[in-house]
Amino acid sequence: MNEAKGHALSLRGLSKKYGEFVAVSDVSLEVGRGEFLTLLGPSGSGKTTILMAVAGFVAPSAGAILLDGRDITPLPPEKRDFGMVFQGYALFPHMTVAENVTFPLRVRGMSRAERDAKVRGALDLVQLGAFADRLPKQLSGGQQQRVALARALVFDPALLLLDEPLSALDKKLRAELQEELKALHQRVGRTFVNVTHDQEEALSLSDRIAILNHGRLVQAGAPGELYERPRTRFVADFLGKSNFLDGMVHGATASGFALEAGAVRVAVRLPDGAAAPPEGARTLLSLRPEKVALLAEDEGAENIAEGRILSFAYLGAGFSLRVATEHLGEIRAVLPAWKAPIAPAEGLPVRLGWAADAAVPVLEDAA
Amino acid sequence: MDGAYRTGPFGRSLAWVTALYLVLPILIVVPVALTDQRFLSLPQEGISFRHFGTVLGSAEWLGSIWQSFTIAVAATVLSVTAGTLCAIGCWRISRRATELVRVLMLLPLIIPSIVYAIGLYRYFGPLGLLDRFLGVAIAHGVTGIPYVVITVSTALAAFDPRLEQAARGMGASLSQTLRWVILPRIAPGIFSGAIFAFIHSWDELVMVLFIASRQVFTLPRRIWDGINENLDPAMAAVAVLLILFTLLLLMADRALRRRSEGG
Repeated sequence: MNEAKGHALSLRGLSKKYGEFVAVSDVSLEVGRGEFLTLLGPSGSGKTTILMAVAGFVAPSAGAILLDGRDITPLPPEKRDFGMVFQGYALFPHMTVAENVTFPLRVRGMSRAERDAKVRGALDLVQLGAFADRLPKQLSGGQQQRVALARALVFDPALLLLDEPLSALDKKLRAELQEELKALHQRVGRTFVNVTHDQEEALSLSDRIAILNHGRLVQAGAPGELYERPRTRFVADFLGKSNFLDGMVHGATASGFALEAGAVRVAVRLPDGAAAPPEGARTLLSLRPEKVALLAEDEGAENIAEGRILSFAYLGAGFSLRVATEHLGEIRAVLPAWKAPIAPAEGLPVRLGWAADAAVPVLEDAA
Repeated sequence: MDGAYRTGPFGRSLAWVTALYLVLPILIVVPVALTDQRFLSLPQEGISFRHFGTVLGSAEWLGSIWQSFTIAVAATVLSVTAGTLCAIGCWRISRRATELVRVLMLLPLIIPSIVYAIGLYRYFGPLGLLDRFLGVAIAHGVTGIPYVVITVSTALAAFDPRLEQAARGMGASLSQTLRWVILPRIAPGIFSGAIFAFIHSWDELVMVLFIASRQVFTLPRRIWDGINENLDPAMAAVAVLLILFTLLLLMADRALRRRSEGG
């Protein structure tokens, strides 16, 4: 509904070097109008450097940054008109909440009446209207975060940039603010670019995620797409947890293949349009722990592996099992407690089963 | 031994003796100023405030006080402006070269002021600045810069650089960022520096002896001459007034710091 309000951002071959150190290497990325994009990666993956380059605080060594097709690479930060929520919020400690939120309007020389109306609107948007006269240090972490959001949105910025906006909050508050942030994004309909190392946050908030490692873009796509069809081992491992099965491709057809690992074969069914790896090639499969079931005695499955429970952990909602199998090494399984056919115990012999479309071939990452 | 935290009687008395040693010469001028005699001495028969009356009723003393005050104000303005800009510039650029600049700025503190005064005398002569209000104000202002550079640099070290980024990200120009974000945050540091720069000029004698003679006759200079020529207890009265004034300034500084830390 608000799609037209957002702006489109593109990064073309963006690189940043600090002397010999390559922080960002040839990253190209499109962010659509009104999209919520998250740059996700471990620390040192270059995600913050990219955000700072978009904001204008870091000059790229090569490449270009375009807003709606216009090159903004040489513009200083104050000319870019982007809202930003900093890590730790960077609220001005000597100004009240209202003065903080007014700041971007004041620098634009807006009239007092217009300013006041906008500030009230922005504070209401984040439900902080009653706190206008407090100083930032009199607010809780979550409230400060919302002031930072109001301040970043009050001047109708072309883009909203968020640098680990939730990292300073405790877990429960973080979950709450994730929902608020998502609702806010839908209400204002602007383009958001978020940076985080928290994969759960990325999955729950984003329209699209770009996964970065060692300054390179590894894979970009919708959260479900990345989770279900990771392209490389790094993506499968970083976004959620994964088992990896190593073997040779055997009997490849249009719809699938078998992975030969030792004396067993693992059946793999590919989705439409996905190409099977070449016959005889060494391949890695990613198998999500929650897709592995603990089979009852007479139960069958497309793939079955027998083994013994090495250890297990009770997680309240379910069990996490480590099972040593004869041919496929150690396999982790996560299953809901109500669905476990037996009570797990260490050393107990068990049968694990999974569907042929549960495992996905992934590439080994380049070093 | 009664534990590592407690100070033994020896340490405690040493501390008190040291404190007394520091304070006594300052305190001794108080009874001297209240003497009932006509020369520098302790009161004999009773205390008298007449020497305060002499000072406050004398055009010469009042003239010197006023001159010292205006020079100190002008010097403070110079020190604060130059020192604050220098500290902010070094902080923003923050390279090796700026470290060198900062050390250079501290030179007036390190070099003996008599050496500095000889240098000033040599090149103020041709410039016509000898025995001029402007000359003394410049000399005091320049030598007051280090105090401001130190206090402002300290304040800036505690300034979160992300605040500046945040301001610029929201569209603030450099001068708006400076006015609305950086200066309010470092104001306590600037005030501290100003107070020290003011005190520095207010009681400076060595340079004044070299670069001023008749026209510019500051308060320390008048005390100096008074002690050399006659031992009038009025000097002690002036000294008491000076001490009170300095104490007031230092208390202002403390109050300001406490407010900026607590507030």
